[in-house]
Amino acid sequence: MIAFLSFAIVVLLFTVLVLTAKASEVATELKDGVRSYTNQSRINGYLLLGFLVLMFAGSAYAFKELMPVMVPKAASVHGEKTDYLFNMTMIIILVVAVLTQTALFYFAYRYNESRVNEAYFYAHNNTLEIVWTIIPTIVLTVLIVMGMYEWFTIFTRDRDKNMLVIEATGKQFNWMLRYSGKDGKFGERIIDTAHVTPTNELGINWNDPKSHDDFMSDKLYLVKGRPTLMKLGAQDVIHSFYLPHFRVKMDCVPGTPTEFYFTPTMTTEEMRKYLSTQPWWQTINPETGQPRWQTFKYELACAELCGKSHFGMEREVIVVTQPEYDEWLNKQTSLYDATIKPTLAKETVAPAAAASDSTKADEKKPTAMLIKK
Amino acid sequence: MQTAPSVEHAGVDTDHIHGHEEHHHEETFLTKYIFSQDHKMISKQFLITGMFWGVVGGLLSVLFRLQLGWPNETFPFLESFLGKWAEGGRISQEFYYALITMHGTILVFFVLTGGLSGTFANLLIPFQIGSRDMASPFVNMLSYWFFLSAGVVMLFSFFIQTGPASGGWTAYPPLNGLRNTGVNLGSGLGFDMWALGMTLFIVSSLLGALNYVSTVLNLRTKGMSMMRLPLSVWALMFTAIVGILSFPALLAGVVLLEFDRLLDTSFYLNNIIINGQLLGYKGGSPILFEHLFWFLGHPEVYIIILPAMGIVSEVLAVHSRKPIFGYKAMIISLMAILILSFIVWAHHMFVTGLNPNLGAIFTLFTLLIAIPSAIKVFNWIGTIWRGKIRLTAAALFAIGFVSMFISGGLTGIILGNSSIDIQLHDTMFVVAHFHIVMGIAAFFGMFAGVYHWFPRLYGRFMNETLGQIHFYITLIGSYCIFFPMHFMTGLPRRYYSYANFDTFNNFNNLAAFMSIVAIVVFLAQLLFLVNFFYSIFKGRKLEGEYANPWDSNTLEWTAPVERLHGNWPGDIPEVHRWAYDYSVNGRPFTPQNVPLKDGEAAH
Repeated sequence: MIAFLSFAIVVLLFTVLVLTAKASEVATELKDGVRSYTNQSRINGYLLLGFLVLMFAGSAYAFKELMPVMVPKAASVHGEKTDYLFNMTMIIILVVAVLTQTALFYFAYRYNESRVNEAYFYAHNNTLEIVWTIIPTIVLTVLIVMGMYEWFTIFTRDRDKNMLVIEATGKQFNWMLRYSGKDGKFGERIIDTAHVTPTNELGINWNDPKSHDDFMSDKLYLVKGRPTLMKLGAQDVIHSFYLPHFRVKMDCVPGTPTEFYFTPTMTTEEMRKYLSTQPWWQTINPETGQPRWQTFKYELACAELCGKSHFGMEREVIVVTQPEYDEWLNKQTSLYDATIKPTLAKETVAPAAAASDSTKADEKKPTAMLIKK
Repeated sequence: MQTAPSVEHAGVDTDHIHGHEEHHHEETFLTKYIFSQDHKMISKQFLITGMFWGVVGGLLSVLFRLQLGWPNETFPFLESFLGKWAEGGRISQEFYYALITMHGTILVFFVLTGGLSGTFANLLIPFQIGSRDMASPFVNMLSYWFFLSAGVVMLFSFFIQTGPASGGWTAYPPLNGLRNTGVNLGSGLGFDMWALGMTLFIVSSLLGALNYVSTVLNLRTKGMSMMRLPLSVWALMFTAIVGILSFPALLAGVVLLEFDRLLDTSFYLNNIIINGQLLGYKGGSPILFEHLFWFLGHPEVYIIILPAMGIVSEVLAVHSRKPIFGYKAMIISLMAILILSFIVWAHHMFVTGLNPNLGAIFTLFTLLIAIPSAIKVFNWIGTIWRGKIRLTAAALFAIGFVSMFISGGLTGIILGNSSIDIQLHDTMFVVAHFHIVMGIAAFFGMFAGVYHWFPRLYGRFMNETLGQIHFYITLIGSYCIFFPMHFMTGLPRRYYSYANFDTFNNFNNLAAFMSIVAIVVFLAQLLFLVNFFYSIFKGRKLEGEYANPWDSNTLEWTAPVERLHGNWPGDIPEVHRWAYDYSVNGRPFTPQNVPLKDGEAAH
């Protein structure tokens, strides 16, 4: 009924508009004899000027209201640099936008037909054109050089020997996060049909002793100040490993390994503390009844369309200090101990019932299905 | 099939001697309206088909905006229309992704490529260069019919059981590369139809483009040197060149993708594991597809924006009663954009793990494109400066185009910088950027063109008042939708809902606001359609046998109001000057076919 009513209203509105518009056109013609655009140029001149003011006022309002809600400041070393670059470029383009939009709409108003006797024939001016070619070139050169410098710093700097290496593998619709355990070394993975099975999706070679202390985690634990190398991959389709707070994003491509090297700078607690000083984060979240900063968490997301539950690949990211990390590490049960050892004890071969940690995580948290249900 | 009339006319074009009188061919309904080889009729066919696709593409966006704006609401009427795709009144996840995929495909290819280039290249190139028709009217007709059949295939894919393609308009494998594995519902028959539709579309596009280029190069009338061409013709020709050089790469990419899908080859697939089952594909790389796709995909955005730039240059000059500022600089910057457009594609792939050196080079070229773009903006502003601007709907849309191009273009400087792009890649910031700079801006260019050349197409005017209402709603509405979207920096795009993430779930009121505005803007476009079709039959008529409603210099207005097959009844006009003699030599305007008087410069 409501759909029908709104449809009827729209049709009515359209009819009224068309008839009024037709009438106004006929009226103009009767009044001016020949078709003249001077009157409407005058009106449109004022309207464009009004739009210019409205645009700036609206933009300022949007900045005021929406800036505080944005993803908060970077929590990684390179992220602070790229944020700086972002902000700097943003200021430059805002200045350019204000100047050019003002010129555009002001000229449209100032030189409309009703305010001018004759147009000024002015076809080109080489000096002017050279100037407005060179200035953008210089500004862009600066931005390009700064951007490239940062880019090479992110992707080609030397690796720290003490870095934390974590393996993340995307699949529909989950992340498999593998840690190398106490020995700091990953067990070998062999991608062939003998190793890759529904109970061993990653194709881990259990005969490699290095695999025996590797464990899976349903949360991504990172260490403050410790360089981290994410080794990334995907099982089925392209995913993208995205840590919005750390300004980290890298595609996970089936059959092609990728990686991202970065250093977190703030623990989860420190970020909460920082956010507790921010007005918007002090407001109460109606869903939890608490100030927003109290329930803040870092998150991992998928940023490449990977299928119908692309939007559900959420994992919590927790940044802790090294001692806290060590403590957490000690509590983990290795995947080998959890799934392979018991079967060896019973001397049976790979029982189908033994589920890997990753599928356990699936059961525990069906992230993708939140909406569907 | 009756091919004779236009072939004869095409012959007449080249030798410039024949009159028209002796050519009176009986046109049947079929040859005049359906299998027409007349560039003006083909132009209308492209325009109206493009409008149909515009409505479909816009409607799809309204549907998915319902989901994005009110993720917790249900809309029971949706179920009555969409059935299983909206059970309980909520758009299903599969259908949501089909909607965004087809929205992108339709608007990028069928509206802003086929609809925009097809309409204005066909209308303007023969008229403005002083030719009776295209170099090959028959190929021109084929171009339209391939375009239409491509559309029919795409449209039918909505009605198959598994629904249309739903793996994104970029069609990345393996999501779209695996046919029967269940990775994606739309990757079955729906994607095959997408691939077939795109193949037909590419054929159409190439046939059209070859024709446009050869027409501009070979069929210019006497005196019409390249440097006297209106900028609209330059832009349309460059667009066609970009299309000829880039569309084949997409065709190759799509054909190989179908090999993977249908013949189990491994061009793009390697070590695919689904539910612990290793599939037999070995040695391919999805990144190869991304390269092939974006080798078209990036030039494609210039295929969309260049015709709009040409139209706007023309409309601004005519309605400002001033020559376009820096004509040569405009051509050089168009050419610079054309060349650079081929060496920036990998900026869509900064975070695919490509070699950092490559990322740096693509940053360099990408940001360089800002220079010719900036020159063009300054020249447009220079054109209206001290003009005598007639603020009609056409002029308003041209001014709106420049505004949109500034706003959207500037954020490109942020996105093109690879190190900043790490965070922004595949987020709503990108969505805001490209919708403003190539979506809305290109539409504004198209509207400017339609309002400006409607009298040429139909011998009547569109209603100005409605046109101006259309303009203000679209201008304000578009900014209301896409400006605040920039603040969603960091929110991944192509999300059905943000409810799973604390980090992203903070913009629900804003999303609802944008959805409401999107619906209003969509309705305003319907108003445009009402105006368009109403004016075809009831619009104010052009008076006289010949009419030049905007006092324009270009040749299309030297032809009679009645649309003749062959354009000019007598000899085709001879050109003596450039297209921009406005407000000079003591006359408000001087058409290109007016001979030079003493002391006048030819330009």
